[in-house]
Amino acid sequence: MRHVATIASRELRSLFVSPVAYVVLTLWAVLGAFFFLSSLVQFQEILVRLQQFQMFDRLREMNLNDELVAPFLGTMWILLIFAIPAVTMGLFTAEKTNRTEELLLTSPITIWEIVLGKYLAACAFVSLMAALVAFFPGLLFVYGDPEPGKTAAGLLALLLVSLCYAAIGAFASSITRNQVIAFFVGLVILLVFLVLSVVAELGGAQGLFSGGGWAADLLRWLATAEHFQRLTEGLVETRDLVYFAVMTGIFLLLTKAAVESVRWR
Amino acid sequence: MIEARDLSKRYGDLLAVDRVSFTVERGEVVGFLGPNGAGKTTTMRMLTGFLPPSDGTAVIAGADIFGEPLAARRAVGYLPETPPLYPEMDVQGFLRFVARLHDVPRRELKEAVERALGRCGLLEVRRRVIGALSRGYRQRVGVAQAIVHAPPVLILDEPTVGLDPIQIREIRQLIADLASPRDGEPAHTVILSTHILPEVEAICKRVILIHRGRKVLDQPLATLTAGGARLEEVFARETARDVEHPGGAAEPADA
Repeated sequence: MRHVATIASRELRSLFVSPVAYVVLTLWAVLGAFFFLSSLVQFQEILVRLQQFQMFDRLREMNLNDELVAPFLGTMWILLIFAIPAVTMGLFTAEKTNRTEELLLTSPITIWEIVLGKYLAACAFVSLMAALVAFFPGLLFVYGDPEPGKTAAGLLALLLVSLCYAAIGAFASSITRNQVIAFFVGLVILLVFLVLSVVAELGGAQGLFSGGGWAADLLRWLATAEHFQRLTEGLVETRDLVYFAVMTGIFLLLTKAAVESVRWR
Repeated sequence: MIEARDLSKRYGDLLAVDRVSFTVERGEVVGFLGPNGAGKTTTMRMLTGFLPPSDGTAVIAGADIFGEPLAARRAVGYLPETPPLYPEMDVQGFLRFVARLHDVPRRELKEAVERALGRCGLLEVRRRVIGALSRGYRQRVGVAQAIVHAPPVLILDEPTVGLDPIQIREIRQLIADLASPRDGEPAHTVILSTHILPEVEAICKRVILIHRGRKVLDQPLATLTAGGARLEEVFARETARDVEHPGGAAEPADA
C-alpha cells in the first residue's frame, strides 16, 4: 500500500502544474465569495423587512445558520456538480493519452493502489475546496454568533459530498480516454443524482411507483439531497454517513473494474 | 532468465500470437524480429504483464507471470513503443517516481536515479521538463525509466523507431552497454523488438523471428549469417513462406 502515497503525490503535483486546478480554484473562490455576499445581503434584507412589518415573532426566529449558512452551502453543493468533474476528468484519461497506463500496469503494483492513490489526490484537492468555502461562514464568527456545531455539520456535509463526487468523477475518467467526455459523463451522473429526489417526489405524487413505494424510497435514498439537507440542518446521523461511504465505495469499485478491463479486452 | 511457454493471445476470432515458446539466458541479447503486425508487441506485452495470455504462461527470473505477477513485473524493465512519459514532470522527478513504483529502497533511490541519468546521458537535462525535450532525449528518458530499478530483464519495443541516425547509434550503443557493462554492474538480459535488420546485426546475438503470430525461427545470429548469407535474405525467405494459419494474425492498432 506504500505505492498509494507515491501515486497520490505524483498526481497531486501534476494537478497543480495544470491550469485546470487554478481555474477551478479561482472560480470556486470567486463564486463562493459572490454567493456568500448575496446570501448575506438577502439575510439583511429579510431582517429589514421583518422590522418594517413589525413581525417580531418571525424576527426572533431568524438565525444565521438556517437563513444564511444553509442556503449558501446548498448553492455551493450545486456548484460542486460542475467543479468536481473538472478536477477529476484528467485522473485516468491523462494516463491513456500519455501512454503511461502501460507503465503503471507493468509496474509491480496492484490496481487498487493505482485507483486509491489517484482518488486520494482528488480527495486532497476537494478538501482544499471545502476549506476555502469554510472561510466564509468562519467570517460570521467574527461579527456574529452562529452555532458552531450546526455550522460544522454543514461544512462536513459539503466535504462528504465532495469526497463522494470525487469518486464518481474518478469513475467517469476511467471509462474513456477523452477528458471532455470524462467531464460530461461525470457531470451527467452528478446531475442524475441531483434530480433523482425530484423524480422520486413527482413519481410518488403521480402514483407511478406502486407496490408500497419502495422504488420511490430507493430513488430518494440514492439522491444526494435528503442526506445533504439533514446534515446542514445539524443532524449528523449514521445513516447519512453510511450513504456517503456506500456511494464512494461503489464508484471506487467500478473505477477499479474499469481500469482493470484494459487487461481483458 | 525468461521462459515463454506456449504463449497465445486471442482477440475474438483473431489469433494474434500462437503458441510461442522460447528461453533466453542471463546476459543474452535477443532480437525479436518480424514484419509489422506479426505479434511482437503483443508477445512483449504478455511478458511484461500488461496483457494476460489467453493460453500458456511465462516465467521471468523465476517468477511465473500468473503465480507471482508482482515479482515477475519487478524483474522487468519495459520500454513500450511509445515511451510512457508524463510531459509535465522533470526528468529526475519522473525517474524517482518510477523507481518508487518498482520498490527501490528509499536509501538507494538517489543512487539509482543518478545511475540511470548517467547511463542514458541525461545528466545535463535532469531538471528539464520532459514535455520540452527533443524526441531523442525523450527516448533516452524512456530507456532510463526501464533501467532505473536495475531489473535483470529488459524488454524494449522498437527502441529506435523515429530517431535520427545519430540518435539511433547512441541508443544502440546504450543497449549494447547495458547487456555487457564494463564497470562491474550486473548484465541485463535484453529482448529487443525491431523490424530494422541492421539493428539486429549490430547488437543481438540471437534472433527470434515471428511471423503471423508464430515463431518461425530461433537461432544464433552467427549461424544465420554463416557462409555469407545476409540477414535480409533469411528474413525474406522465412516471411515469404506461407505459414498454415487459420484466420491470420495482426497486431491490434494499439488499443
